Amino acid sequence: MKRLFSFLTGVSVLAGSAAYALPEQGHINMVPPASALAEEVHFFHDGILLPIITGICLLVLALLIFIMARFNSRANPTPSKNSHNTMLEVVWTGVPILILLVIALPSFELLFKEDVTPDGKQVVERGDGQTVDFVFPNDFPPSRMVARRDHLQVMLDTGAERRTLKYKTDYTVDGWGEPDLVVSLNEPAPVGASVILRGGRSTQNVAGCPMAKRYFDGCEKEVVLAPTMTLKVTGRQWNWSYGYPDYGDFEIFSNMLPEEEASEELYRFEVDNRVILPVGETIRVTTTASDVIHSWALPNFAVKIDAVPGRINETWIRAEQEGVYYGQCSEICGVNHAFMPIAVEFVSRPAFEAWIDGQRSLAGLDPMFETDSVKLAQADDAGAAAE
Amino acid sequence: MADAHAASGSHDAHDHKPSFFVRWFFSTNHKDIGTLYLIFAIIAGIVGGAMSGLMRWELAEPGVTILTRFTGGDLTAASNFYNVLTTYHGLMMIFFMVMPALIGGFGNWFVPIMIGAPDMAFPRMNNISFWLYAASGVLITLSLFVPGYSSQLGFGGGWVLYPPLSSNTGHPGPAMDLLILSLHLAGASSILGAINFITTIFNMRAPGMTLHKMPLFAWSVLVTAFLLVLSLPVLAGAITMLLTDRNFGTSFFDAAGGGDPLLFQHLFWFFGHPEVYILILPGFGIISHIVSTFSRKPIFGYLGMAYAMVAIGFVGFIVWAHHMYTVGLSVNMKAYFVAATMVIAVPTGIKIFSWIATMWGGSIQFKTPMVWAIGFIFLFTIGGVTGVVLANAGIDHTLHDTYYVVAHFHYVLSLGAVFAIFAGWYYWFPKMTGKMYREWLGQLHFWVMFIGVNLIFFPQHFLGLQGMPRRYIDYPEAFAQWHYISSVGYAITLVGMAVFLVAMIDAFFFYRRKAEANPWGEGATTLEWTLPSPPPFHQFNELPRFDKGDAKAF
Repeated sequence: MKRLFSFLTGVSVLAGSAAYALPEQGHINMVPPASALAEEVHFFHDGILLPIITGICLLVLALLIFIMARFNSRANPTPSKNSHNTMLEVVWTGVPILILLVIALPSFELLFKEDVTPDGKQVVERGDGQTVDFVFPNDFPPSRMVARRDHLQVMLDTGAERRTLKYKTDYTVDGWGEPDLVVSLNEPAPVGASVILRGGRSTQNVAGCPMAKRYFDGCEKEVVLAPTMTLKVTGRQWNWSYGYPDYGDFEIFSNMLPEEEASEELYRFEVDNRVILPVGETIRVTTTASDVIHSWALPNFAVKIDAVPGRINETWIRAEQEGVYYGQCSEICGVNHAFMPIAVEFVSRPAFEAWIDGQRSLAGLDPMFETDSVKLAQADDAGAAAE
Repeated sequence: MADAHAASGSHDAHDHKPSFFVRWFFSTNHKDIGTLYLIFAIIAGIVGGAMSGLMRWELAEPGVTILTRFTGGDLTAASNFYNVLTTYHGLMMIFFMVMPALIGGFGNWFVPIMIGAPDMAFPRMNNISFWLYAASGVLITLSLFVPGYSSQLGFGGGWVLYPPLSSNTGHPGPAMDLLILSLHLAGASSILGAINFITTIFNMRAPGMTLHKMPLFAWSVLVTAFLLVLSLPVLAGAITMLLTDRNFGTSFFDAAGGGDPLLFQHLFWFFGHPEVYILILPGFGIISHIVSTFSRKPIFGYLGMAYAMVAIGFVGFIVWAHHMYTVGLSVNMKAYFVAATMVIAVPTGIKIFSWIATMWGGSIQFKTPMVWAIGFIFLFTIGGVTGVVLANAGIDHTLHDTYYVVAHFHYVLSLGAVFAIFAGWYYWFPKMTGKMYREWLGQLHFWVMFIGVNLIFFPQHFLGLQGMPRRYIDYPEAFAQWHYISSVGYAITLVGMAVFLVAMIDAFFFYRRKAEANPWGEGATTLEWTLPSPPPFHQFNELPRFDKGDAKAF
């Protein structure tokens, strides 16, 4: 029953902990989503595709059963000779076209969300108790400019709480689609508060939005910010190597943990060196390979991208919560294809920076961040809080 | 129709068969060549089925425990063996089981008869087609026993043969070269066969049998033949480039030399996607005849059925990159392939609904071929709708190269094409052999297989949704339960195949009931049922005519 329940509500359940995000014995649906985007993928499957295809199969099954009961040679000794019905043929050509349209529209939207790396931008201004007008530099290429209320998010952060302001009720906007976009608050921002303007065409439904709301486009939208860093993934026979081009010339190698070092649950998933990434930030992932084709997959993020020698492919991920997520090589690459898993650990920004400096010092580079004792202590606290 | 009876009646008297060797090795008779193809397909089916048996045995439990028994405990050799099994299982089943059975076997046997022709247009070319296939079978078998990767035997890079895994980087040994040559011969054979079918169907239809009066099986083989002629040369080109990359220093697919591994994928799938329709279209034709025969009704929407196949064949050529959503195509290109791929659902839906409408109002007899056909319709629907799911690149990014894909294409091929082959086999067995089989054995075979294959492949959807990748010899604990059930399904299917074997031995040696010319009654209206069972060595010395009165082929 619990299994059925988690299957039905899968879309709204966010990965609570790393362990929960793993595939589970006997489960029948996708692994829990770890990003808002993966939740949209789940909704597309569980909320749109699965009901439609189940309905079609049941319709065909019902028709076949009815026919077998009603038109068998005993029940119906004299067959009709009917072999045409233009109306019927038009209907069973037209209705599937309509069904396909119902699938296609959200499908394209989802595809573009997945494949267009976000370019959202954030501006933070200080409130002084008087200013009501704040300028958002709308300097995107014309096709990517902020031109609708969906493309802009205005938040007020007082330090104690962060509130998303409502269009018209809390603010108005002048200059949609123009180079300088002016946001006018209805009340001046209080002294010391931050006004956060986020703009861009990469928007998605916020994580945790229930399925029912998604049907009617009733979810709160968020603008996804541009990547803060790039992860360079290289597939090789038979392990993965990871580079952090923004943080220096070093590379880490990720090999599968042997059976005696891994827990039973994690054996064939766990690696010796996990990829460490900051949580809550958009991360550009580029893939390539040094020998044959491999494929970098993270089911919790609904991401799979081939690593092809001589090419660089790009995708992006953003984790909502700290945790470890696992994937496996997904393009046959030789004898150890099944033994080159992927493990990505998302940590807080301070912990990430401390880790980067640790890697830099291993590579003989100077620290990049202030890794003073205060910061490391913060990182430890954040790490402890995550566990 | 009366003319057809009269035309065939006098054949038995001058039914001169050549001696055994001349008959079976120099054969130019379409029925004998069809029989050879069927025997070939049965052998390949046994080999390919045994390979899947080894895979399911290994996958029944996590850990590499079974294949190491064949390699003296060497894990690398076992992993290579597993990859070889997946590769050759796919190639065997596609090129050497389904294609020879449906096109070479049933196509050769029944297309000439159905269109009222005495034989194929080029009987000697028909002979070389078969023997090229046989040679191709020898080469692929040889390639299993020579080194591929390092000192390991066979090629283990998947049936799609993607470089660089199939080039000198991944498999420098001669196994891959033999495999390429094998596919060259199989391709040449299929092209010759396809030319033969097109010529036969266009030129040798009985007087008065217009294309729009031609039985749907002949239509399906005609469309298939066009797909073969147009797609196989592209495969031949791609594997020739691969061969020169491997042996003569070119770098078509080698990034280091300015080539592109993805070029091969585009070429391969430009062939590969039509290929999957090549595998299923003749099955569509067979199912149409069986549904019509046992419902005792003419096929519903004949023209729609014929042109749906033409439409499927045409659209099949412009959707190839939906196999490549994760390789790094641009988003606009993916969007196009999503749209084009979903279009295929429309003609396929027309076929499913037309079969249902054919049964509607009929007087259905649930003879063995009919239960296979009804099973086909339902299972093909399941395979079809998961295809609609996979057509969406947004979701295929998750499901690509997982067991969901494995489940999908086995539902359309293993439960679709193979069910159509069995349906056709039970339908035409009396005609081809002149013997009846025991009805209850055929029914038992269906039910055991139906349960078995569903148990194998339905849980694989769940594995795929959970992220279990394809072509893995070993897997994490969490996938164990569904894998075990899937392997149990294989065991049940094996029992089903044993029932089939028993049914055939029984029909030939124990039951020994002679088949009438038309064992299926008034619903069976195509020309093969006007001939005695088995048909005379040469039929239609005097052509049946459809240009007088209201005679109809269908």
